[in-house]
Amino acid sequence: MNNKVVFAGNLNFINLAELFQILGTNAGTGILRISTQYAPNECFVYFLNGNLINASMGTINGIDAIYSLFGWMEGEFEFTVKTVTNKNIIQKSRMEIILDGLRMLDDGLIEKIGPASQKKMSSDSFDHKLSGVPLLKGPLVDYMYVVDEEEFFNGEEIVQEGKHGGWIWVILEGIVEIIKETPKGPLKILRITDGSFIGSIASFLMQSNVRSASVRAAGTVQLGVLDSQRLAREFARISSELRGIVISLNKRLKKVTDCAAETWLKNNDTKKIIRDRKPIIKQGENIGKLFTITQGDAAIVRSTNNGHVPLGILHEGDFFGSIPFLDMGHEPYSASIYASDNLQTSSLDSNRLLKEYKQLSPTFKNLIDNITTCISATTMVACDLNKKNSPKKQG
Amino acid sequence: MAIFNLKKREIDCKIVYYGPGRCGKTTNLEYIYKAFKKQVSGEMVSIKTEGDRTLFFDFLPIGLGKLKGCDVRVQLYTVPGQVQYKSTRKLVLKGVDGVVFVADSLKIRYEKNILSLKDLQQNLKDYDLSIFKIPLVMQYNKRDLAEKNIPLMSIEKMERDLNQQLKVPFFEASAITGQGVGACLKKCLMLTLQSLHKQLKWG
Repeated sequence: MNNKVVFAGNLNFINLAELFQILGTNAGTGILRISTQYAPNECFVYFLNGNLINASMGTINGIDAIYSLFGWMEGEFEFTVKTVTNKNIIQKSRMEIILDGLRMLDDGLIEKIGPASQKKMSSDSFDHKLSGVPLLKGPLVDYMYVVDEEEFFNGEEIVQEGKHGGWIWVILEGIVEIIKETPKGPLKILRITDGSFIGSIASFLMQSNVRSASVRAAGTVQLGVLDSQRLAREFARISSELRGIVISLNKRLKKVTDCAAETWLKNNDTKKIIRDRKPIIKQGENIGKLFTITQGDAAIVRSTNNGHVPLGILHEGDFFGSIPFLDMGHEPYSASIYASDNLQTSSLDSNRLLKEYKQLSPTFKNLIDNITTCISATTMVACDLNKKNSPKKQG
Repeated sequence: MAIFNLKKREIDCKIVYYGPGRCGKTTNLEYIYKAFKKQVSGEMVSIKTEGDRTLFFDFLPIGLGKLKGCDVRVQLYTVPGQVQYKSTRKLVLKGVDGVVFVADSLKIRYEKNILSLKDLQQNLKDYDLSIFKIPLVMQYNKRDLAEKNIPLMSIEKMERDLNQQLKVPFFEASAITGQGVGACLKKCLMLTLQSLHKQLKWG
């Protein structure tokens, strides 16, 4: 049994600590390979008789490579039985590594890497360490779609709110800030980094696209210009239902961003929003259905410990309900839907949409995932701003 | 649930020392590590966590015999009490086979004991375990401090506060001198093995 994968699976089922223990009790000798779509490099961990002796991830080696793995909430692993010839550079025992890794994770010394929904878990007991502005990392960049590269320096404006523009970029390296201009001054909504996208799918539509927020470089940023023609062609090929969802999703991001700004300005009249409508999906409800609005409107509202937070109002053509492939931290699990009296809907076949979604190109999928992640993170920001507005109202 | 290692013909089970901060969990484990050195395999792992320490080592109990021809190996752990260490707690409590609850006899720690016991119940529940079913032993620690005229709770009071419903075996102990520590661990091991027997429906 040499050079064969003997054990494989996903970290969201067997976590790293358990994995190390299993390989330890079986006194495994070989190479453990772990990869995740949220980190640029895969990691190799070398085992000799169940003990960890060496590891490498990109340019990081040894124990540091292993510790950073503890932040991976998702990822695929496979263990290959093999004679390892690597130098034994790790002196710590298996249990010490596991317990120390978990401690560092809990102490916030190791960065958690995973889908935004993981971070959402702690949104109600929001950690103030985050300095209020979340940093989002995207998946790996598919260079096939990058047609040109551009560099921006600290403080340079990449996109200006209110201006027309159709470029879509992917961040190759560096951090940019997404800023909403308000009467009270600029509001930093998000910071995004490697693998995230700048620009919106709305540029594929025939209408000219008005930028909904400003984007500024924080430090030197390397951007890749995406082949928008190719993406636009793909966009034109998908079914009108899926296209509708993607457009509506994009609008929803804009709405949530606007709501966050309004919350900051304390302009939201939540009471009126709820008074004029009746709830049709209650937060936390288990609804497997998906609808589009044909008449009337519906408001998305999340209830938190500090009261209701409006997240946007949906109109004709928008969807609501649960989408099997997207978790944007809204209805049905994390927000309610309040409908106007004249609301009419038709239901959508979510299974067919799922099938179609799966066939999209990786870059297109990433673009959609990026919008959902931003929606989820911006919602957190809106809730946090709301919390700051109502200090200790209910303890 | 214990792990069967067929390759080594060993059964691995997990015993966790639980209790409020500074109650003496760490001292218990340090004493066991020193006093039963011959039965300890491998090094003691000690991780400094805020306000507390997490300890771990492997222990091969002697004199308990074999289970179906397999050696029994025990992993001994302490759990960091602070709320933030949830990943560590999860690792330690997942599949726990037996628990020693170390209570602090100091009068001023009265409330801390009760809170920690409730916390244990909740944490076990999170892993679908019941505090009423898991092999559990109470240890009333720091009894030696009575000689120094430090106000302690009486055993009767501690029994009433902590053990009225649970009705598990209890031990008076002084982890710093080692008194009661061995007996307490031994009882917990016995209960754990009996429970394993029962779970596996062996006789």
